[in-house]
Amino acid sequence: MEKKSRISRRKFLAVSTGAAVGGVAAGAVVGGLAGYFLGSSQAAPAVTRTVTSEVTRTVTGPGATVTTTVQAPAKRLKVGYIYVGPVGDYGWTFAHNDGRKFADTAYKNVDSFYIESVPEAQSAGAIESLINQGADLVITTSFGYMDSTAEVAAKYPDKYFVHISGYRSGAAGNAPQNMSSAFAEFYQLYYLNGLAAGAVTQTGVVGYVAAFPIPEVVRHINAFVLGANYAYKKRTGRNIKAYVSWLFSWFDPGKAREAAVALIEQSNADVLAFTEDTPTTLQVAEEYTTQKGRRVWSFSHYNDMSSYGPNAHLTGQIVHWGPIYLDFYRMVATGTWRTVDIWTRIGDYMPYRWRRSPEQSTAGQVDGTLQLGKLNPAIPSEWQLEIKMRYEEMKELLFEPFSVDGNLGEPIRDQKGEVRIKGSERADRDMLWNMDWFVEYIESELPR
Amino acid sequence: MIELVESVLVGAVASGTVFLLASLGETVAERAGVLNLGMEGMMIMGASLSYIFTNALGHGWAITAVLLVGAILGLLHALFTVSLRLNQVVVGLAFTVLGLGLSGLLASNEIRGRIILALNPEASPAVIASQEAAKLPPIPIPGLVNIPIIGPMIFSHNILVYISLILAGGLWFILFKTSFGLSLRSVGENPSMADALGVNVFLIRYIAMAICGALGSLAGAYLFIGYQPFWVEGMTQGRGFISLALVILATWNPLRAILGAYLFGGVEALQFRLQLVGVAAQLPYFLLMLPYIVTIVTLTLLSAESVRKRIGVPAALGVPYSRE
Repeated sequence: MEKKSRISRRKFLAVSTGAAVGGVAAGAVVGGLAGYFLGSSQAAPAVTRTVTSEVTRTVTGPGATVTTTVQAPAKRLKVGYIYVGPVGDYGWTFAHNDGRKFADTAYKNVDSFYIESVPEAQSAGAIESLINQGADLVITTSFGYMDSTAEVAAKYPDKYFVHISGYRSGAAGNAPQNMSSAFAEFYQLYYLNGLAAGAVTQTGVVGYVAAFPIPEVVRHINAFVLGANYAYKKRTGRNIKAYVSWLFSWFDPGKAREAAVALIEQSNADVLAFTEDTPTTLQVAEEYTTQKGRRVWSFSHYNDMSSYGPNAHLTGQIVHWGPIYLDFYRMVATGTWRTVDIWTRIGDYMPYRWRRSPEQSTAGQVDGTLQLGKLNPAIPSEWQLEIKMRYEEMKELLFEPFSVDGNLGEPIRDQKGEVRIKGSERADRDMLWNMDWFVEYIESELPR
Repeated sequence: MIELVESVLVGAVASGTVFLLASLGETVAERAGVLNLGMEGMMIMGASLSYIFTNALGHGWAITAVLLVGAILGLLHALFTVSLRLNQVVVGLAFTVLGLGLSGLLASNEIRGRIILALNPEASPAVIASQEAAKLPPIPIPGLVNIPIIGPMIFSHNILVYISLILAGGLWFILFKTSFGLSLRSVGENPSMADALGVNVFLIRYIAMAICGALGSLAGAYLFIGYQPFWVEGMTQGRGFISLALVILATWNPLRAILGAYLFGGVEALQFRLQLVGVAAQLPYFLLMLPYIVTIVTLTLLSAESVRKRIGVPAALGVPYSRE
């Protein structure tokens, strides 16, 4: 069966390449017309791709080729994934697909398959089609799939479901027991990026290119700005100034470019962070640094993007979903499932979950699910040490960015001056999940 | 302050050139009586091909390939709308859907890799894997670039920006000052009369659509290699449709299209700058709507017969021609 789908995929590619290279094809417009009429329903997010870890071994002997199949123990696990974007595009889906490959390689006795570019409205049907293909475990990787995942989970109580980036799970009590939710949370890494930004900024202004004003993005902005202020104020005694430019789009390189340019030219920002699905901001920083004689820094987001801005890449946040997926594979395969709500932070899924000295820090290396980007040597060494120290402390949750500690001993105030965190308080889940205010160092207003 | 105005204007031209190239192509097609709703599809095909070809063979070949494929798409559109006389709206939308899908397919990892290797067997794995490509270098025009405001606004860009301006002037001249232009316009106004006078209606519409397709794709190529060289599926984000509205705003005049294009480009550049000076946080939503509001308003006005007459809509626009 796996064979079959492989061949059909190859055929599909051959045909499409033929059509592409051969160009024209009168059928193209027939297809186009059909596409138009079907287009409104975006029928069939089409191609399901099956990827199997190798089970056949080919031994070439003197006379003949002998193919032996390694006997798989009892039952192979089948896992289906639903992706919101195309796997080829850098960013969110690309990172999830890397995680799938990691888990498959580590687990071995598994067949995984996925459907990409699934519109949220059609996710229920897509999940059911994975179940019909025999999936024991279905992993859905976009916030918008949350309710449909819970719906299908209720319908198939003997199958297992994991939803990424939502808040519904059996553990939380708002979904069936066969559904878990998981997320790799970035705000700690954003704080460390902020420290790096505050350590190198010359103008004292940092900028942020942001996709949508949702709590996740807002807490990342706040964490970044708190970190930047911490380092900058410790260096110079002055507060950092931060500006935010909203794109209202997850991927539009043209818009992201204008937003980044505006932050540089109008606000005089020289370090730009971003939450959107392209490395445009880093590319623009590189352009200003290498061609326009203006030193501008930016970061990696989701994936290592340093090749898009080799001279402007300061550090960044990189995600590895693989260990989380592997965990769920094991639970399902061994019949030890229990519903969980996992929000991974620095420390989680690390083989050695204890604080090390800054000199031996694993910051910058692949360790667990969250990786700090390569630290650019332009960051002064005392700040590199401080970043590593904080990273290590966060492994044991000794340090929390949203606390008085993270703000040079000052209470954290919002833009209206209202104290949000004081004394020994630390941000809790509800505050992080529902964050709808900006810290005082941000000049821009939060759209409502 | 002057610096800020300058920076907005530079941004307006940089992002407006996408609209300019596309609306110039559309103007030619509509002047000949063919409505090309496939502009968005042709534009994204141009972006996709410029990405693949730049990484394989460099900018020169990329632009050549984009113009060629764009012209072929235009001719195909003409085959269906001019020769087979199919409904132009349906065919155009089909081309848009087709272009959005095909461009994503061509630029997908595996197929893109094969195309690049077929074109250039020495391409490095890093280049094949990359989702960006070299940007066209800026060519500031010596002397002119030093004129305050206008200098950096117009004369600090890359070659495609200059070409778009020359094309605007050239197309205006051809349309309104040459006999070919007269024939082309007559085909769009009254094809049976033109036919009776010996003008080859079909040939002219084919030529117009080839130009339209080529320029539409060139607009996409500019969006990618001339403006922000990072490929994502569907990266044109409706810019093709905005160009359609622009043609009407510019009343089918290539020179006025320059102003319209830079106005729309200016909105794109300005919305982010206004956010930063803290003009009410709600304003971004409004500005984001602006191009689409203008589009709807112009299309609505256009539906009124008196307005159509006054602004000079090509009378045979969208009507397939057949000899009785």
